Amino acid sequence: MRVLDYEIPDKLYYSKEHEWLRLENKEIVIGITDYAQKQLHEIVYVEVQKKGTEIKQFQTMGTVESVKSVSDIFSPATGKITQVNTELSDKPELLNHDPYGNGWLAKVETTDPKKDLAKLLTPQQYAEYIKSLEE
Amino acid sequence: MTTQPKTTHLYSYHKQHAKLTTFAEFQMPLWYKGIIPEHLAVRNTVGIFDITHMGRAIITGPNAQAFLNHVTTNDVSTLTPLTAQYTTICNQNGGIKDDLIISQLENNKYFAVYNAANRQKDLNWLQQNATTFNAKVEDVSGQIAMFAVQGPKAEATLQKIADTDLTKIERFKCGWTRLADRKTFLSRTGYTGEDGFEIFIWDTPLTKPENATTAWNAILEAGKEFKIEPCGLGARDTLRLEAGMCLYGNDIDEITTPLEASLSFVVKLKKETFIGKEALVKQKAEGIKRKRIGIRMIEKGPNPRPKQEVWKDNNKIGYTTSGTFSPLLECGIAMAYVSTEHAIEGGMVSVKIRDRLQKAEIAKFPLYDSTKYGYMREK
Repeated sequence: MRVLDYEIPDKLYYSKEHEWLRLENKEIVIGITDYAQKQLHEIVYVEVQKKGTEIKQFQTMGTVESVKSVSDIFSPATGKITQVNTELSDKPELLNHDPYGNGWLAKVETTDPKKDLAKLLTPQQYAEYIKSLEE
Repeated sequence: MTTQPKTTHLYSYHKQHAKLTTFAEFQMPLWYKGIIPEHLAVRNTVGIFDITHMGRAIITGPNAQAFLNHVTTNDVSTLTPLTAQYTTICNQNGGIKDDLIISQLENNKYFAVYNAANRQKDLNWLQQNATTFNAKVEDVSGQIAMFAVQGPKAEATLQKIADTDLTKIERFKCGWTRLADRKTFLSRTGYTGEDGFEIFIWDTPLTKPENATTAWNAILEAGKEFKIEPCGLGARDTLRLEAGMCLYGNDIDEITTPLEASLSFVVKLKKETFIGKEALVKQKAEGIKRKRIGIRMIEKGPNPRPKQEVWKDNNKIGYTTSGTFSPLLECGIAMAYVSTEHAIEGGMVSVKIRDRLQKAEIAKFPLYDSTKYGYMREK
């Protein structure tokens, strides 16, 4: 769905820190939302913790820099990083161009995805949240 | 108590076209299209900035020159009508109260342009010190709109709508013209490192924005053939940092002297007297302990930001005061103060970014190749 100027795909789960999560077999894929990339604008550097790192839901798992700002990336789930999108080191702008596709950040193996998902927002809830921020 | 944000004549334009930010209480454009394209437009062709938030004052009186020579560090007596100089105002300890540009309009009449964040502080300081000189300091910030038109095509853009020959105005010289048929004062100065003008649309109070909006739109129209971009404060900051110009509050402040800030070219210790002279003479004799330098990151990676530590071997030698990603050089750049013995061009250092030491090099300002970019570029 599209809310205001922002794309919010169905079938994804969202955090209030503007990260998304997609279930993919036993793994989950993590990224930042269209709203996040539009707020940051012109992303020039991304770093995500290394493959194998244990991360916790709502804890820092990386950093994203625009020309002028530095922001933490908070993990929407608890688990172990199994893959990091290495393409981002040369092309951080993928986060701007394709935040839900080629701009994905990491894949994570979770132990209890249901517990994580319960604390995230549905597309509808995230849309309402975005609207409240823009008021 | 909530303070109503201040705005400029162009507020409705900015609101419609830009991402806004609050700077020195003003609602200003941060970027329109983006910092990177705006920055590159200024380096490659031309960009226009609304900088009406800056402070402006007219200083008059038979002792205006003596007064300004007393409150500033550069030598105002070297100015002639329609010339400008960069200078600093210091406190008694030699700390920088502000950096500014003073132009001479005519005999016994000067025009000072200072930082937005220091508007009230500077005005108070100038007026307070002017009394003994019988000089008059009048705040005209609200009466004049101020834009900067910067880049290699700045002159060609403005010439199309100016009624005088702008080639006659050399760098750090000024002149009067009618721009889009509005009375305008121009000064060939700027905060980007590029050739260009700072233009002042005279007799344009905030209550009557028409002169300002007409001139702004006329400049955008004239610059169309050069692909002019309206530029926000974001690009203004990255441009000035590449050029090595100080941002007050970040790189210079009241506990930093112009000698430490590598601004000794605007400190004329031969002047008989000026506020801060004794402290600066003493500091010069004793030698400065730290010095402002430029930094360029060696490896692709995180970008330096203000207030990060600078290390050499296993010693902390200083800290950054500004830092960003450079849109032109496509790497991290910074300004830093390091202990004088390490302030050597080409010296290898590290910047501590999020607990990791990242390799960097001490570099000469401007950080870009000045044969290819900036006002000294080869034509």
